[in-house]
Amino acid sequence: MKSAEQNPRRVAIVAGGIVSPLGFGLTETLQSLQQGRDCVTPVSTFSVEKTRCKTAAQIDDGRLLSNANRRRQERRLHRASYMVMTALAELLEHAPDFEPEIAIVGTTSGGMSFGENFYRTLGNGGACSAALIANYPPQKQIVDAMEKFGINAPAQVIANACASGTNAIGHGSNAIRTGRYQRILAGGYDALSELVFVGFDSLQAATPEKCRPFDSNRSGMVLGEGAALFALEEFESARRRGAEILGEIIGYGISTDNHHLTQPNPDGSGPRRAMEQALAQAELKPNQVGYINAHGTATVLNDTAEGKAIMELFGEVPVSSTKSMMGHSLGAAGAIEAVVSLLALQHQFLPPNINFREAELSLNIVANQPRDAQFDCAVSNSFGFGGTNATIVLRKLAR
Amino acid sequence: MSLSIAGRSWVTPLGSGVHDVWQQLVAGETAPVEILENEKNGARYLVRRVPSSTPFPSHPRLRRASAISRFAAAAGLTALRQAKQPLPPLDRIALVFAISNGGVIYTRRFYADIVKSGAQSASPMLFPETVFNAPASHLAAILGISGASYTVVGDGAVGILALKLAEDLIASSDLDACLVVAAEEIDPLVCEAYRQWRFLRDPRKPETGRGMIMSEGAGAVLLTRSNGGIEIDQIVPGANFFRRSEVSARLGSVVARLENEIGFCIGSANGTFIDRAERTAVGDELPLYSPKIALGESVGASVFWQLITAAKALETGTVPGSSKPPVNSHALVLACGLNQQTGGLTLRGRDRSAFPGSA
Repeated sequence: MKSAEQNPRRVAIVAGGIVSPLGFGLTETLQSLQQGRDCVTPVSTFSVEKTRCKTAAQIDDGRLLSNANRRRQERRLHRASYMVMTALAELLEHAPDFEPEIAIVGTTSGGMSFGENFYRTLGNGGACSAALIANYPPQKQIVDAMEKFGINAPAQVIANACASGTNAIGHGSNAIRTGRYQRILAGGYDALSELVFVGFDSLQAATPEKCRPFDSNRSGMVLGEGAALFALEEFESARRRGAEILGEIIGYGISTDNHHLTQPNPDGSGPRRAMEQALAQAELKPNQVGYINAHGTATVLNDTAEGKAIMELFGEVPVSSTKSMMGHSLGAAGAIEAVVSLLALQHQFLPPNINFREAELSLNIVANQPRDAQFDCAVSNSFGFGGTNATIVLRKLAR
Repeated sequence: MSLSIAGRSWVTPLGSGVHDVWQQLVAGETAPVEILENEKNGARYLVRRVPSSTPFPSHPRLRRASAISRFAAAAGLTALRQAKQPLPPLDRIALVFAISNGGVIYTRRFYADIVKSGAQSASPMLFPETVFNAPASHLAAILGISGASYTVVGDGAVGILALKLAEDLIASSDLDACLVVAAEEIDPLVCEAYRQWRFLRDPRKPETGRGMIMSEGAGAVLLTRSNGGIEIDQIVPGANFFRRSEVSARLGSVVARLENEIGFCIGSANGTFIDRAERTAVGDELPLYSPKIALGESVGASVFWQLITAAKALETGTVPGSSKPPVNSHALVLACGLNQQTGGLTLRGRDRSAFPGSA
């Protein structure tokens, strides 16, 4: 009998859920992607009077909280908890019997704005609500969401900066591939916060202009927020029980670039290693990939390094950064973009890289308008502070 | 899947040598308690700090790094250097980092500037150090680890989840070893949060056992596939508790899933509701010791202090403050955080002679 290592399991995506500036749920997200909708608006939740950047892609609180349970305990939760609840509700609508053995999720800041409120209240000499403290930690939001739907799985929360969501899905898929788990809830979440917004502004990584990934005149990123989750299941198990299989995760790569705490090595070697590993695990040649959802933050440094790596490895494969539409949601980004890649595979189109004017590199950018395409496999990249690089490969299910 | 502990190290308020600190624990010594004052509101906290005489590695990456990264670097490097077997190539070693509060000193300073002087005063030097994976990034750069690196966040039980992640990584043939590190630093902001949450010991009554004393430091273990010596048998991340009345049941479920004959427990009792829940979960008969009594509550790092304490107890046949465990018995490490997470693991001393006393 072959071991899981010799004969790795396939990893099926049996359900997904998403909330982002692109919309609530898979259907709205698909529509926004197909319309190339620019979701960036002026920041409304904190003062941006003294920052260079004034905009972000935000989720409407009126809608996010409209379905909130009016129980006192739930009213105290962080809005990131509601984002995860929204994504999990959609996922469970499609897979009501899904019982994960573990949740593996990514985030960078959990309930950060509660931490900010705590600090400000303390400075004003006021007494803080214990709810601010209890609901701030980064694991709380996924635990809240699972509790709401009667799931009580351990929560393994990965905080690998902007690669967290991809790391969570990638590590989760590997854990199934090696036979250690049958069912994993995987994804990521992050909500906009003043501290993080000002942080990227202080680094001059955020732009006061439009977000233009891979454009020769790009000037930086715009922040976003959201949550996305996948129900991952060992393929044969899902097929035996007749589950609808939306797609597969067939490859994962991770590398660490020790060049600098915040800057990628300009030679693109870190991202390239992650992409090569993911392709090797997927047993794919680069030309078998039909679409690359790039990390594409629109910072000068990221897009140069990532663009170089993509150019050298993939040549003419079409590329877009959907952050141009929905901003960079940090720990959620990889999970949201995995959903975007899945939707692209399911509906056979390439989501656009909007606000694009002038090419800098010889990349096949899906500029400004979506394209119809026929393809079986997509790559999704996420890179982050700390030199962390992650890539996953998704495959549509053959009909 | 069994994992060997090939190397181990800690940085604690009682010192940094594994054997030295162990002897102090066995002798019933406790780390000195200091008073930390909060300039914002005048609140005072009892804390246990890493001695200022502790040697830390020197590296360009650590020049501006916060205490948490220095603690982590010291523990991680020592665990590798003291490995009892030849190290695999660095591209076959993963780094897993456990953290709870993270780089809170720089985070508070960064946000304080924003609140006090406006966003234009925010320091681009401080911001990168506020990110949860900054300590792991520094450590990976110092060690030259260029493959998998994960930072896992959670409450006081996060160490169990990080060790589980390491176990899952080692299950793949892509890796031969995993360095698992955890670290925390003390800051008045974190102390104030726990004070307002009513978990801290009253500074006017330091001698009482009620309430926890915050501490700082790091722990590190180098894990390899089963290779003799002290081995981790099973790692069980537990279910979350939503009410305090559920805690002992959740911990009891963890204990029930760890099926081996357990001779003693190194627990996470810290002067809060955890103490009673843990005792209820393991029963009245099992010897139970928490190193937090002597070292304080280091949250993210605490499971690693428990793990190393349990390994030393197995090696020496001594549980601090208790009678000897049966020879070759299994040790239980039980972890309960203050914010819903639980977990546990079992250790066994398969072959004592294969694991000579550490420095």
